[in-house]
Amino acid sequence: MRRHWFFILLSLSAADRHGSGIMRDVLDLTNGEVKLWPVTLYGSLDELREQGWIRELARPPADADDNGRKRWFRITAAGRRAVAAELARLQSAVRVAAARLAHGAGEA
Amino acid sequence: MTSVARVAYRTLLRLAPRDLRAKHGPEMEALFVADLAAARALGRRAALGVCLAAVADVARRAPYEHWRRRGRPSAHVRHEPLLTSFAADLRYAARSLRRQPGAAALIVGTLALAVAANVAVFAMVDAVFFRALPYPNAARLVDLNEQAPTWGLDFTGINYADFVAWRRTARTFEAMALWDDAGFNLADDHGSERVSGQHVTFDMVRTLGIAPILGRSFTQAEDVPNGPNVVMIGYGLWQNRFGGARDVVGKTIRIGSAPYTIIGVLPANVTLDGPATLWLPVDENPNQEGESYSYEGVGRLKPGVTLAQARADLAVAQAPIWQRSDTSHTVSPRVMPLRDRFVADYRPMGAALGAGVVLVLLIACANVAGAMLARSVARRREMGIRVALGASHSRLMRQLLTESLVLAVAGGVIGTVVGRMGIGLLTAGVESPPPWLHLTMDTRAVAFSLLIVLVTTVLFGLAPSMSARRMGAAGATMEGGSRTAGSVPERRMLDGLVVAEVALAAVLLSCGGLLVRAYLTLRDVDPGFRPDGVASVRVSLPMATYPTWVTQGRFFEAVVAGVAAIPGVTDAGAVTCPPFGCHEGMFYAAEGAAPKRPGASDQVVLTRRATPGYFAAMGITLMHGRYYSAHEGSPTGFHPAVINATLAAQLWPDGSNPVGKRFVFRGDTTARDRMTVVGVVKDVRHYGLTRPMIGGLYLPLTTMDSTGSRAQFTIVAHTAGRPEALFASMRAVVRGLDPELPVFAVQTMRTALDHSLAARRAIALWLAAFAGIALCLAIGGIYAVLSYVVGRRRREIGIRMALGARSPQVLGLVVRQGSVLMAIGLVIGLPAALVAARLLSSQLGGVSARDPLTYAGVVIVLCGTGAIAAWIPARRAARVDPTIVLSDAT
Repeated sequence: MRRHWFFILLSLSAADRHGSGIMRDVLDLTNGEVKLWPVTLYGSLDELREQGWIRELARPPADADDNGRKRWFRITAAGRRAVAAELARLQSAVRVAAARLAHGAGEA
Repeated sequence: MTSVARVAYRTLLRLAPRDLRAKHGPEMEALFVADLAAARALGRRAALGVCLAAVADVARRAPYEHWRRRGRPSAHVRHEPLLTSFAADLRYAARSLRRQPGAAALIVGTLALAVAANVAVFAMVDAVFFRALPYPNAARLVDLNEQAPTWGLDFTGINYADFVAWRRTARTFEAMALWDDAGFNLADDHGSERVSGQHVTFDMVRTLGIAPILGRSFTQAEDVPNGPNVVMIGYGLWQNRFGGARDVVGKTIRIGSAPYTIIGVLPANVTLDGPATLWLPVDENPNQEGESYSYEGVGRLKPGVTLAQARADLAVAQAPIWQRSDTSHTVSPRVMPLRDRFVADYRPMGAALGAGVVLVLLIACANVAGAMLARSVARRREMGIRVALGASHSRLMRQLLTESLVLAVAGGVIGTVVGRMGIGLLTAGVESPPPWLHLTMDTRAVAFSLLIVLVTTVLFGLAPSMSARRMGAAGATMEGGSRTAGSVPERRMLDGLVVAEVALAAVLLSCGGLLVRAYLTLRDVDPGFRPDGVASVRVSLPMATYPTWVTQGRFFEAVVAGVAAIPGVTDAGAVTCPPFGCHEGMFYAAEGAAPKRPGASDQVVLTRRATPGYFAAMGITLMHGRYYSAHEGSPTGFHPAVINATLAAQLWPDGSNPVGKRFVFRGDTTARDRMTVVGVVKDVRHYGLTRPMIGGLYLPLTTMDSTGSRAQFTIVAHTAGRPEALFASMRAVVRGLDPELPVFAVQTMRTALDHSLAARRAIALWLAAFAGIALCLAIGGIYAVLSYVVGRRRREIGIRMALGARSPQVLGLVVRQGSVLMAIGLVIGLPAALVAARLLSSQLGGVSARDPLTYAGVVIVLCGTGAIAAWIPARRAARVDPTIVLSDAT
């Protein structure tokens, strides 16, 4: 899974958000390391929607403060499965890498 | 400031796909503006960073977004493998083109014609203007010659003593060499033949930078008076006569009845001027200064030397000669790029043809564009249906692209093949092009014309998909059949294309017309002799068997007598230089004229020896006095002369009758060489009808002495019948006197005259052909557009006629539309033609570049044919039956 897909899904798994909300959340989440610029952000949102991993909300949540001008997104069940699967993959990768590195260090 | 940034970003976002912009544009802008505002608070660097990052974001992601959309037109359409769909496209294209075979053939034919013309003409343009001469470091080769403005000569030829001084003193040259064209009688056991060759100085091979295929070149010791009889043979002779045998070096051949040893073999196509079969050393004496200026020169500059430096260098080398014998600097060296010397004659032709053929290509492209545009409107319904059935726009575009490519590739390939074959035709009429002028296809020109063809077909081939996209499926299917006359932009574009075609055709027709008129005018110029019914052959006597002027003179007397006795021959004679042949110049002054002031101009006079029968055989018009008779004059006594009108005016500018007056070789006042005018004849245009005639005179053979010996004569004979019939008997006469002598330059004077005009005729014919093509294309364009418009407007015309419009009114409606296009085209085209004609003026001779007759003709031809082209569709329109058209649901 692409890195910005993963972070977008991760961000949406906590709450429904609009585009700039996702951007700020991902920036916070990664301590400013991952910044989603507009074309990448919205292009990826379209892609995720076509994948069926997120969907667009018909109307913004009641507590939204943007006068209904922005598009809001929500993660789907398929999206949660996808991000969980990616997390599992990453964890196994981390486990394997850590074991190998620990083993290598022992030998040296 | 913020709004500026917002607009800039919005513009930048146009690089992203339209649907992404439509959906998220405002949010993307807002996000950027917010980012920028936050960054600005941190300072200019941060703001700049945001801007750069935003640009990088678009640059990185926008192509991907486009690709993503193209790759997956929509989620539910199965993505076909590209190759499979390409094959399907090809099949479909073939089917759709077969449905309209006439239109497809017309488009392919038009393209092929234009490409073929370009391929052929640019082969020549490239060879003449651009391609490097086939010598190593050819850019450093220069043409050497001498000039004498006061003699009225731009090229005098080089004096051998001058050349020796240059070779000794000049510092800027790596090497320099002289050559002189010559003919040789080559004899062996199988017979004799006349071959062309050159006398060259010993380091010609080094100057050109070539190496003999076999053997060696001349040494300096061989290039001296009475040097050894050595010869280098050309590639063709080596192949034909010696079968390419490698042991040819050291063998002996007989040249001019003397044995010569072959020392080397030259590569093919290396000689500078004319095909050379033999190279002999010039064998000149460097210490003998003379008045003879007969050599051509070539030099190889040292690296980095400019023409100006070379000129200055040669002037320094020439200085001692000026001091010693030419204090008024009458003759001075001249240096120019080698190419300029040889292509001068071909340059106007190359430029005119190149420009003409590009115009033809443009007209053809405009024509094809119009045809494809018209076709696209006709296919709007088809496109609409295909969109409605679920074809994506990208799929449609690929389909149309394939069709266009099929047309372009077919036209391009056929055109290239035909053009390749046509290259030879270009120079067919031109007198012996230089051997290094290789006419081969020019890759760049081929690529250029193919590119233009491709761009045109693709651009206009995609038009149907554009209109389908603009209207959407529903609009296209519903309106497809009944729209009135195509949408406004398409109509405008069609009209514009026709106007452009007419304008370009007007330019080509005017230029072609002017050149044809110039050629016809030239044919009417009086050559000064009667070209019809005259046969001529040339014979050259070898010094070995005819060593003295007495034996030579006796031989030619016998030949002339023999030819005169041939049945059917009315007159026969011999001359040293026939018209369009050679040149021998001398200087003369009227007896008692004031001595020439230093620096004053001194005209060269063409000097010929001729038997009395020559005048009658050639039909040269006598203006005053008489011809000399057969036995009049002797080397030591009376010197009769027949002079031409120009020389008469030159020697006696007061206009008095020169008959009986006397003149002398300039500077020579001994009574021995005093000549008496016995007759004045009309100028014979010796240098061709396009060049002015200089002063000229004829002297009898009887006054020749040992110094004036000439071993070569042209025999002419006049007959009332076909002159070609005389050739065999004239050969027989020569063979009867000496079986070893070859007869050459066998031709009628009419042929010689036509040949002298060959280049002019070739330009005129080719441009006339291009003009004809242009006319056909432009007229075809008008016809096609009006037919199309009439077809589209059938319903409207039907309504008009139902409402009471008469046939003539409908006719007028359509014809008027054609006339307006034609008129606009002419208004643009004629001034452009005037400008183009000015550039051609050097080729027009006596015809003015503003020749009203030609332009009137162009207007009449274009309007006349245009009217016919408009009339046919107009009549079709006038015959529209309202009841049928209006009841037709589509």
